[in-house]
Amino acid sequence: MSHHNSDHGHHDSGGSGPGGEVTVRSVSARNPKVRTVELRAKPMGLERAFLPAIVRGLTTTAKRFFENTFTRAQIETIEYPEERPDYPARFRGLHRLMTRDDGSVRCVACMMCPTACPAHCITIHPGERTDSHEKFPVIFEIDELRCVACGLCVEACPCDAIRMDTSTHMHPVDFRGDAILGKVDLMKRGTLSTANQGGEKGNWRATDGGEGSRGPESNVPAGPR
Amino acid sequence: MSDQVTLEIDGHAVTVPKGTNVLEAAKLVGIDITYFCYHPGLSSPAVCRQCLVEVSGNPKLVPSCYTPVAEGMKVAVASEKATTARRQMLEFTLVNHPIDCPICDKAGECTLQKHYHEANTLPSRVDENKVHKGKRIDLGPTIVLDQERCILCTRCIRVCDEVAGVHQLEMAHRGDREVLTTAPGHLLDNPYSLNTVDVCPVGALTAKDFRFAMRAWELFSTPTICNGCATGCNIELQHQESRAYRIVPRHHAEVNRYWMCDEGRMTYKALHQGRAATPVVDGMPASWEQALATAAEQLEAARDRGPDGVGVVFSATHSNEDNWALARLARDHLRVGRVYVAGRAAAPERADKILRDADVNANSVGARAIAGAGGAVGGLAELEADLASGKLRALLVLGADVPLSPAALERARSLDALVVIATREQDLATVAKVVLPAADWAEVHGTITNRQGRTQRLRAAFPPVGQALPAWEIVIKLGRKLGAMLDYPYPRALFLELTEKVPSLATGEWGKESPLVQLRFAGSRG
Amino acid sequence: MLMIFLLGALKWLGLIMVFVMPVASLLTWAERRQSAMMQDRLGPNRANIGSVRIWGILHFVADAVKMLFKEDFVPAKAHKTLFRLAPVLAFAPVLIAFAIIPFGPTIHVDHLFKVLDPYSAPSGGERLQIFTAEFGMLFYFAIASIANYGTTLAGWASYNKWALLGGLRASSQMMAYEVTMGLAVLGMFLVTGTLEPGAMVDWQGPNPLHWGITVQPLAFLLFFTAAIAETKRAPFDIPEGEPEVIGYFLEYSGLGFGTFFLAEFVEIVFVGALMTTVFFGGYHIPGLYQNGFYFGDWFFELPHVVVAVLQVHAFIFKVIFFCWFQLLIRWTLPRFRPDQLIHLGWKKILPMSLANVMITAAVLLWLGL
Repeated sequence: MSHHNSDHGHHDSGGSGPGGEVTVRSVSARNPKVRTVELRAKPMGLERAFLPAIVRGLTTTAKRFFENTFTRAQIETIEYPEERPDYPARFRGLHRLMTRDDGSVRCVACMMCPTACPAHCITIHPGERTDSHEKFPVIFEIDELRCVACGLCVEACPCDAIRMDTSTHMHPVDFRGDAILGKVDLMKRGTLSTANQGGEKGNWRATDGGEGSRGPESNVPAGPR
Repeated sequence: MSDQVTLEIDGHAVTVPKGTNVLEAAKLVGIDITYFCYHPGLSSPAVCRQCLVEVSGNPKLVPSCYTPVAEGMKVAVASEKATTARRQMLEFTLVNHPIDCPICDKAGECTLQKHYHEANTLPSRVDENKVHKGKRIDLGPTIVLDQERCILCTRCIRVCDEVAGVHQLEMAHRGDREVLTTAPGHLLDNPYSLNTVDVCPVGALTAKDFRFAMRAWELFSTPTICNGCATGCNIELQHQESRAYRIVPRHHAEVNRYWMCDEGRMTYKALHQGRAATPVVDGMPASWEQALATAAEQLEAARDRGPDGVGVVFSATHSNEDNWALARLARDHLRVGRVYVAGRAAAPERADKILRDADVNANSVGARAIAGAGGAVGGLAELEADLASGKLRALLVLGADVPLSPAALERARSLDALVVIATREQDLATVAKVVLPAADWAEVHGTITNRQGRTQRLRAAFPPVGQALPAWEIVIKLGRKLGAMLDYPYPRALFLELTEKVPSLATGEWGKESPLVQLRFAGSRG
Repeated sequence: MLMIFLLGALKWLGLIMVFVMPVASLLTWAERRQSAMMQDRLGPNRANIGSVRIWGILHFVADAVKMLFKEDFVPAKAHKTLFRLAPVLAFAPVLIAFAIIPFGPTIHVDHLFKVLDPYSAPSGGERLQIFTAEFGMLFYFAIASIANYGTTLAGWASYNKWALLGGLRASSQMMAYEVTMGLAVLGMFLVTGTLEPGAMVDWQGPNPLHWGITVQPLAFLLFFTAAIAETKRAPFDIPEGEPEVIGYFLEYSGLGFGTFFLAEFVEIVFVGALMTTVFFGGYHIPGLYQNGFYFGDWFFELPHVVVAVLQVHAFIFKVIFFCWFQLLIRWTLPRFRPDQLIHLGWKKILPMSLANVMITAAVLLWLGL
C-alpha cells in the first residue's frame, strides 16, 4: 500500500507515491522522517474502490504462497526439536546458584533479586546460620514459567550468587509445579564462584592480614569499603 | 520578640525560638544537614561530626546539632569547606564499617547507606584490612548486637539513659577498637530496649523479632494507634500481603514522643494468632446469614420476655465506632436493662511513669463514655454477680476480652441467648451460642480514646482475616435482622454522630486518610 | 416416485460425503498451511499416525478428535433447546443448498461409451444435480436466510451479552449483503433468462466468452464480495474474528463449536461451487463439447463417459480453486470496521448492483434480445 503518514484514519491509501498529494504540516525535530501531513486530494475512481490495491496485495501473497509451497525459499521456521538455533554467547538462559569453597550456596538472601524481578518469580525465605555468613536462603525458588528472562536478578545480585549463563532454557514440564526450581535444582547447575564477597579488594572477613587482601581485581562492581 | 532569634542559613533568613540548634533551624528552610548521633528526642553529644557547618566568625567548623542559634548568625552549610568536611567524616566512618548490606537487616532504611548514596558512592581508598570486632552478640531478650557495624554514635546509650531511665549500655575501649557493650554479666533488658534498634543509624542493633524476617523496603506502612494499653502510642504498622511484620513508633509530641514499649511492639503477633475467622453457631461453623438469623431470633425472644433480662457488654478494646453502633442497637432498639463494659484484666505491675499503663485496654475511656451515656454501667464484677444471681437471661457481647471466672463462664453457657462479636475465640466466645467474627484493630478504620481523653485515629492496614467483618458492620447487619434500621455507610458516619451525642468525646477529630505507602518508595526511615 | 426420491437422496449423500465434507475438513488444515506459506512459516505439519505424516494433513483428524472429547459446555442460564439448535441451523442450510448445484453433465447410461450427437442429446438421462427446479436460485436464497437464524440464535441463546452483540453483528451483516447477492444474480437472470442453475450452466456452455464472468463482470465482483461477507470471513469477519473479535459462538465448546467452525468451511466450498456455476461455466471446460474437443478447426472426438468424467473433474478443480482464492483473500485483506462494512454494503455495493441490473436490462432491450 502507500506510504502516507496520515493522521486521519480514512481510506487514504493510494497507489502513487507520497509526493505531491500531501502537505507537510510539521516535521519532528528528532526524527525528520516523522511528519504530520495533510491529504490534499482523496484517491479517486478505481483507487477508491480498493481494487487495484487488492489485486496487488493478492498478487504478492499468491506469489509468496507458490514460492514457499514449491521451493520453501523464504520459510523462516526452525523445526525446533530437530533443528536448534545457535544461542548467542550472552544468552540469558536457565538460572543457577553459585557455590562457595565449602559447597554452600553463595546467596545470602539479601532479597535484591526478588526486589528487582519484574515478574515476581523469585521466592526467598531467609534463615540464620552460625558461621560468618550469618544469613542464607532456607527456600530459594524460581518459577521459570513466570520468569521473563530479563536478567535483572543477575544484575542486582551483590554476591555473584545467581547467574543465567547456563546456555539452556526451561524445558517443557507436565505439571506447573515442576517448573518451579528449588535451591537444590538451581545449585545442581551451579559451580564455584571465586568472586570476593563484600568488595573488590580482599575479603573483609579474612582474620589474618595477608590472605586474600591483595588478590586480583574481581568482577564485582566497586562499592564502598 | 526577645525569645525569637533570626539567623541566616545559606542565604535564607530564618526566625526560630531561642535555644533551637542550627540543625533544626536549617530543617525549617529545607536544608537537611547529615547526622548520625543527633536525635530530636535525645540530648546532643556531637560525637559523630557528621553535621559540621561553617559559622561566620568562627575559625573552626562547628557541629550544627550542638550549636544553639544566635541573633545575626551566618551559617554556611553548602560551602566548600563544610561539604568537604562532612564528606571526609563520612569516609572516615566507613573505614571500618563492613559493607555487608546484603546480610544487614538495616539495608534500605540505613542512615549510613543513605548518606553514602547521597554523598558520593565512590569506592573506598583504604588499603588496609578492616578492624574486626564482635559479631552477633546476644545483648538481651530482644536484641542482637553487631559491633563491626556500629559507628559509635551512642544514640542507643542515650535512649536507655534518657527514655527508659536505666544505664545499660556503654562504650568500651578506645580508638578504632572502641565497641558498644553492656557491663559484663548484664543484659539490655529494659522494657523500652527496642527503641535502640529504631534509633540505631546502622544495623548494629537488630531486633530478634524482626531479624531476617523481611526486607524493610518490601513493607507497606500504615499509620495507626497501638492497641496494647491505654497510653495510645502513635505507631506505624508495617505489613506486607495482609501480614504484619513489625510496629514502629510514630512521633506524637504529647503522647509518646518518638518512643514506645517493647510489649506494644509485639501486639501485632496477636493479629495472626487464634483469630475467629468464620461465624459459629452452637460450636459449628456457619454462614453469616445463618449466624445472624440465629442471633436475631434468640435475642428477640429474650427481649420479648422483658428487656430487664437482656444485657449488653461494651468493649474497652474495640473502637468508639464499634461501641457506638452497639449502643444504638442496644439502647434504641433492644432497650436492654443492663449495660457492662469489659476489657482485659488490668496489669498494675507494668505501669511506669514513662509510657506503660496498668490499663491494657486501648479504649477504656471511650467505651466507658459511650456506655455511660445512657445510664448506669457495670464492670466485670457486676457482670459476674448478675450471672450468678440469674438476673440475666440474654447477653450481647462486643469484644473477645471478657475475663470471667470459670464458674461465671459455665453459668453464661446456660443463658437463653449469648451472642458474642469477637476477634478471637476465648472467654465468653468459647461458650457462646453465636460467635460473630470481628475485624481486629489493624483491620478497621475508627477512633480510640486514650487515657488522656485524646481521641486518635485507627487506620485499616489490610482486610480482615477470613470472613470476619468490622464489628460496627456486624452490629448493623444484626440490627437489620432485628428490624432496627441502623444506616451508617462507613465508620465516619458513626464517628460524626457519636461526637455529637457523647459530650466527653466531642473534641475528637477523624483525621486524614493515609494512602498505603511502600517503604521502598517512601525513602529511608533513618 | 420413491425411486426418484431415493436417487436424489443418494446423489446428495454422495456429493456431501464424497466431496463437500472432505474438502471442508481439509480446508481447516489447508487454511492454516496456506496462511503459513503466505507468511513464510511452515504451519501445522506434524500430525501423524506413526510414520505417516503427509504434510500434516491429519491435523483435521486430530482437531475432530479433540473436539469430540472436549466438554460440551452449556452455560447455566442459556436457553438449552435453542442453544443446541443454533449450530444445526447454521450448518444444515448450506448442506441443503448444495442440492441446486449441478456438479456434472447429464449422464446417459445407455450411451456411456458412444460419442454423443453434438446438436441433440438423447432424451432422458440422469442429471448430476440433486434438485432441478425453475426457482433454483430463489430456493438457495430462501434456504440461506435460515442460516441467519442459526447465528442470531446462537448469540441470543448463550445468555452472554458479547455473544448476543456478535449475533446482532452477524445478522445485520448477512441482511445487508443478501440483498446485493440477489440483485447480482438478477443480472445473470436477465442475461440467461433462467434461475435454474443447471440451465444457467447450459446457457454458458464451453465457450469462456459466453461465461458469466465475461457477460456480467460487475455482477461477478459484487456477488463474490457479498458471498464472502455471507461466509463471515476476513475482511468481513466482524461477527466473529478468531483471535480478537468475540463472536456469537463464544459460549460453544466441543462439537457445538466444531459445527459452527465446519459450517464456515462448508460455506466456503458452497460459495466456490456457486461462483463456478453462475459465473464460470459450471462443469464446462473451454472447448469441450459433449462429443469432444473443438479448438477452431481442430477436433478431437471423445466418448460420453470420458467427457462426463472430465467435466466432473473440471467442476471439482474450479471449486477448489475458488476455495484457495477465498483463503488467499482471507489472509491478505485487513478487516473492515463495522461502520465501514455497513457503509460498503448498503451505500456502495447495493446501488452498484441495482445499476448493474438497470444497465443490463437497457442493453438487452437495445440489442432486442
